[in-house]
Amino acid sequence: MKKLPDVLRDWEAVIGLEIHTELTALETKMFCDCRLSHTAPPNTNVCPVCLGLPGALPVPNEKAIECIVMAGIATNCEIMERSLFYRKHYFYPDMSKNYQTTQGPVAFCMHGHLDLEVPAQEARERPDFSVRKAPDGSYAVPIRIMRIHMEEDAAKMVHVGGGEGRIGGARESLIDYNRCGTPLIELVTEPDLRTPEEARLFMEKLRQTFLALGISDCSLENGSMRCDGNVSIRRRGTAGVGTKTEMKNLNSFKSLHDALAYEICRQAEVLEGGGDVRQETRHWEPSGRRTVVMRVKETADDYRMYPDPDLAPFDLSDEFIGRCRSRVPELPDAKRSRYLTELGLSRHDADQIACNPMAARVFEEAVAIAREMAPLIANVMVNIAPTAKAITSRQVASLARLLATDALTFAQAREVAEMVDGTDEDPETVVDAYNMRQSTDIDTLAPIVDDVLATCVSQVRQYENGNKKVIGYLVGQCMKAARGNGNPKLFNQLLLEKLGV
Amino acid sequence: MTRLDQLSAAQIASGVAAGAFSATEVARASLDAIEARDAEVQAFLQVSADLALKTATATDELRAHGAKLGPLAGVPVAFKDNMNLQGTRTTCASRMLEGYESPYTATCVQRMLAAGATPIGKTNMDEFAFGSSTESSAFHPTRNPWDAARVPGGSSGGSAAAVAAGEVSIALGSDTGGSIRQPASFCGVVGLKPTYGAVSRYGVVAFGSSLDQVGPLGRSVTDVAIAMNALVTGGRDPLDSTSQDVPASFSAHLEDPVEGMRVGVIPALMEHESIAPDVRKGLADARAALEEQGAQITEVELSHMASAIAAYYVIGPSEAFSNLARFDGVRFGYQEPGSATLAEQTALSRAHGFGAEAKRRQLLGAYLLSSGVYHEYYYPAQQVRTLITEDYRHAFARCDAILLPVAPTTAWHFGEVNDPTQMYASDLFTISLNIAGNAGVSVPVGSSPASGMPLSAQLQGPAFQDANLLRMARALERGIAKKGLHMPDTVAPAFADRGGEL
Amino acid sequence: MALTTDDVRRIAAYARIALTENELAEMTAYMSEAIKLFEPIRAYDLAGVEPTYHPIGGLSNVMAADVANKHGRSLSVDAALSNAASTQGKAFRIPSILGTAGGDQR
Repeated sequence: MKKLPDVLRDWEAVIGLEIHTELTALETKMFCDCRLSHTAPPNTNVCPVCLGLPGALPVPNEKAIECIVMAGIATNCEIMERSLFYRKHYFYPDMSKNYQTTQGPVAFCMHGHLDLEVPAQEARERPDFSVRKAPDGSYAVPIRIMRIHMEEDAAKMVHVGGGEGRIGGARESLIDYNRCGTPLIELVTEPDLRTPEEARLFMEKLRQTFLALGISDCSLENGSMRCDGNVSIRRRGTAGVGTKTEMKNLNSFKSLHDALAYEICRQAEVLEGGGDVRQETRHWEPSGRRTVVMRVKETADDYRMYPDPDLAPFDLSDEFIGRCRSRVPELPDAKRSRYLTELGLSRHDADQIACNPMAARVFEEAVAIAREMAPLIANVMVNIAPTAKAITSRQVASLARLLATDALTFAQAREVAEMVDGTDEDPETVVDAYNMRQSTDIDTLAPIVDDVLATCVSQVRQYENGNKKVIGYLVGQCMKAARGNGNPKLFNQLLLEKLGV
Repeated sequence: MTRLDQLSAAQIASGVAAGAFSATEVARASLDAIEARDAEVQAFLQVSADLALKTATATDELRAHGAKLGPLAGVPVAFKDNMNLQGTRTTCASRMLEGYESPYTATCVQRMLAAGATPIGKTNMDEFAFGSSTESSAFHPTRNPWDAARVPGGSSGGSAAAVAAGEVSIALGSDTGGSIRQPASFCGVVGLKPTYGAVSRYGVVAFGSSLDQVGPLGRSVTDVAIAMNALVTGGRDPLDSTSQDVPASFSAHLEDPVEGMRVGVIPALMEHESIAPDVRKGLADARAALEEQGAQITEVELSHMASAIAAYYVIGPSEAFSNLARFDGVRFGYQEPGSATLAEQTALSRAHGFGAEAKRRQLLGAYLLSSGVYHEYYYPAQQVRTLITEDYRHAFARCDAILLPVAPTTAWHFGEVNDPTQMYASDLFTISLNIAGNAGVSVPVGSSPASGMPLSAQLQGPAFQDANLLRMARALERGIAKKGLHMPDTVAPAFADRGGEL
Repeated sequence: MALTTDDVRRIAAYARIALTENELAEMTAYMSEAIKLFEPIRAYDLAGVEPTYHPIGGLSNVMAADVANKHGRSLSVDAALSNAASTQGKAFRIPSILGTAGGDQR
């Protein structure tokens, strides 16, 4: 099989994604008041409604509707004035009613888009120039979103007796309805993505957006965010539509990318060999790094969709939508550009902080304390304490101030950050308690420099003979003499002065 | 010595409150009446004697502690077997749910209990409410208390028969296309189908979710009104998205005169060829009874009535297919033993758990909802529903209630109507109401000169004017009593003196 | 539109109701008869008529607060499983979904 870059020179891939996100931020299920939990013992968070017992009726969770409207606003969707829940029928016992309550042709959110900025480093998969590339190779494309609709999740099944818990060959299956009825929003893109990398970046961007909204923990690992992809290919320069295949089990960013890459190459091989791509659903096997056929779709499924008579229609008021709009926080894109233009952050730091809601919150609070130090605060967030779990804005501001006054080296700052993380201690106090403060007093440091120059005669000579690197050794000797409390930058400066540079 | 069935629900409740007799004595009298009468009537699928006595004891203890008792204190009530009541089985008269123990209680049942009612048992019905004669019950037929050779009507046939035979004072039924009104008519009792949304559907096994409505059957309009008060007390049910607030004021204006109120008649329907002569006579008496009290008769039109049966038999089976999909034998219900695969287990569980009519309706629904077909029938049926709703709106702009037959005939003999589509046609006068969601009530207006079987008339009223409709029904009942054609609180004569002494 | 036994066979397969050949013939006759009953709704000009899915007038936006177990409906695991014919441990059990290789799948 050819490699992806080679394939993409001759073929253009057309990729669409369907992304399911569980609204884990909620307390209860979509149509009943059972608690949401990923960890409860089997069948303990169930009631007549989510078990589909005879006579039970659904009542929609208001907060779930708020969440999907927020998701729609954040992805530039039109929030539909009137929409209905539908019943989608298929006999499979992971849906307790043998139908799923979902939405019909009109979803709560329709016709949105997200702009995808593809950095130079990631842009290598797109050989064509149908998008305008910047000189560095980076480019931006708008990805249209067809719809976001509200639905309910299915129960979990465990297949027993087959290999590796697989359904094939299983003797029996066990069902746990705890997850049944979990609020799920499904976002469907138009087939606007052209490379596996774009698909991966779209998914990442959507994840960052939903994280910023606080509607889900968006964990691909735990399945609270799940992605299916469909892909077809066509000869470059043609506008036809190829037969598409659908990909399941893309439960990591890497799987999403690799499965699409594999599938594009596979389809190219089939077509170049004179064969036809079949419309089918394929399963990504990360271990074998390949997709395998799950089922062939000969005819479209007939789900007998019709408006759910148990659920009143929705006519979302301007007031309701306005309330949701007011709850949408500043999103990563807006944050990034504000950090760049107003706070003078580097592109890298702005990216890192803007896409992480926790980091952004700490950063902005710290900036509120000391706005003039914003780039240094960002530096602390990104480079000094990137792994801190519970560092406070006060601590971050304090660390930035210590760095700004040269009272601490970067290495020391990392140590201090680790010490104060999760406590309410002020780094200033810690530095003093451990006697780590770098002296910046020339009157204290100058005699030390004099002593070192007097003692290290041979190194001074080497320096004078052109071995400039020896200065590092001399700084080290000064630090040693100062028992670590001298500022190395100042020692360096004093040494150079005294050596007559 | 008083017999239980000589007392109205209000008299029982006030007697219990006053200490004239205890709730336990009433419960025992009801159980005794059932013991004496039900072997013949077979109205019940389950008599919940222990639960009844436990509830009655609790009512008596409340009184002993000086607590205020509810308006239905000690009143023996039966529930159609599609209503969940924890501590009983809920079978929908189907093998599919034989032995199904209710894990929770329906709101309508809960509200009757909250008003102090004593739950006597669960009544027979057409399987999953599919039918008009209670003959499709998987367990046994129910006999019409007025003539054991005849059907009690359906699908709430057990509820109507239990009330008519004096076994209980009030029973709840559910009405999807006439399933309260038609058996009430066949058994000579009052049956109200309230406005859609007036009574919670939570906990009532669904047939057609946009058509189903729970309502009471009693031997007088007054008893039905008291039961309605109980059913709406507490306001809209937060567990049913389609339920709405209705004030519990059904008794307040029940006795008000109807002079000057307008009663609509639809000439084309009143003269419909299918209507039997005795039913025509009953309608004429009803009309006269209302006119004599100063009500004005006015002609109105429901021009799309002709398509009501068609629309109903598209919408109903479609919703039924969907609602009954959950019966797959996995979480509850009949499970075919020894199946090798899930598909086999599901298909055989449903084949052997459901009776013929339940299968017919589901397959019809599965067909009607399939892609391509949906736009041929289901979608236009819902458009026709709009037209029928509009027809009613226009008609009710010109009258306060419409007078109609309930069914074209009195109760028929067992086995007399066995072609399903022929049985569907007998729903002509009841189903348009469910399509529009309005309220309707069946009121006894005498007995057939030919057969002695009960005759009834139907009054239909606009949405959420149920209290006003009952006021008109009460006037009709009063007028008919004045004519000596039918007295309220009448028990089917063959059973009136059998057991149930208080 | 008359239905054939093959149409009905497919519908029954979809609806998961096993039918004997006799039942299939009866059902085909019944469904064809029932469909004739529906003809009146095709007699009208329905262009521009909105469908009524819910007979409830202006009722809309019915929602509930996101508060756990506010109605006390939670079932214990034993109660949840109590009406199930097959369980294993604390889970509902179903037979093989795809059939076990070499099994007696019919």
